[in-house]
Amino acid sequence: MLQTVSFAGLEFSPLVVLLPVAFLLVAATRFILHWLHLRERIWKVAWFEVALFFCYLAATVYLLGGR
Amino acid sequence: MMKTMRVLVTVLLVLIAGGAGSWVWNDYMYSPWTRDGRVRADIITVAPDVSGWVTKLDVRHDAVVKKGQLLFQVDAQRYHAALAKSEATAENEKYALALAQHKYERRKQLVKSQSISAEDLEVARINTQIAEANYKLALAELETAKLNVNRTKIYAPESGNIINLNLRQGNYVSQGVPVLAIVKADSFYVTGYFEETKLPLIHLGQHATVTLLGGGELTGEVASIGRAIANTNTQSDNQLLPQIQQTFNWVRLAQRIPVDIKLASVPQDIRLSAGMTVSIHLSEQ
Repeated sequence: MLQTVSFAGLEFSPLVVLLPVAFLLVAATRFILHWLHLRERIWKVAWFEVALFFCYLAATVYLLGGR
Repeated sequence: MMKTMRVLVTVLLVLIAGGAGSWVWNDYMYSPWTRDGRVRADIITVAPDVSGWVTKLDVRHDAVVKKGQLLFQVDAQRYHAALAKSEATAENEKYALALAQHKYERRKQLVKSQSISAEDLEVARINTQIAEANYKLALAELETAKLNVNRTKIYAPESGNIINLNLRQGNYVSQGVPVLAIVKADSFYVTGYFEETKLPLIHLGQHATVTLLGGGELTGEVASIGRAIANTNTQSDNQLLPQIQQTFNWVRLAQRIPVDIKLASVPQDIRLSAGMTVSIHLSEQ
């Protein structure tokens, strides 16, 4: 699984990939909630989305990080 | 009721996010893994035991050699001459000893008939011992000369690959100066440089997964954990005063301790070279 990201002889932390993946998942969730008209019902949307980002990040690290 | 539900959902998610963030932090900072690992191997430096011109070079760069295979040969003429000289010296000393023993035996008879003094007999006995010692010395020198002749042929001490061969036929090689190196076959292992904060999580025999930067995965187990690394603060200047390094007050870098990983097996499709970069993950048990 994704333990290191090597590009052109440089080795990067897998977070370089996992962070954008988590961000894209948050964006997708946001789009779906908006489409379902649920987003306006959320209390403190900013808090909700930041928390969602950390949940998605942990999930991607767990699932894609080879654990 | 609806308002309570809305608040509850956000609060619950924030709490879960706190736990998830904490797990990610601990996973990266305190689980036993490192990207700072290198492939290593047992390297044998080969140096001739005698000096002279290289008269025959039987290997090429990167060649595979077997244990006991002839690598190169040093001009043996000088050592053959030294051997002949030592043989002659040994023979000379052998006859000198025989002569001294003969004289001693003869004088033992003469002293009974009081033809010579007891002192003369004692001198003859000591001369015999001196001749015996000289003979032993000559034999030892003969052994050294034979050894030198044998050592003009340099054989591979182990099976492996020739590395860094800059030797050419006709070069002059000196005793004890390495001229090539051999990477011992099947001696590859991995050393991971783990931060000291992760050491409590590492123990001997722990299962390791090694990922090569160029692709490929190997498995192994922890074979040893380094007991010492260099400390720059222990160096002294020319007045023998300790040279203590300055540090930033707020930032400390964790030292890295070498941990050796013994590889279980190397798949056929993976070609290892000592010095390659690897990432190492140790099991948490």
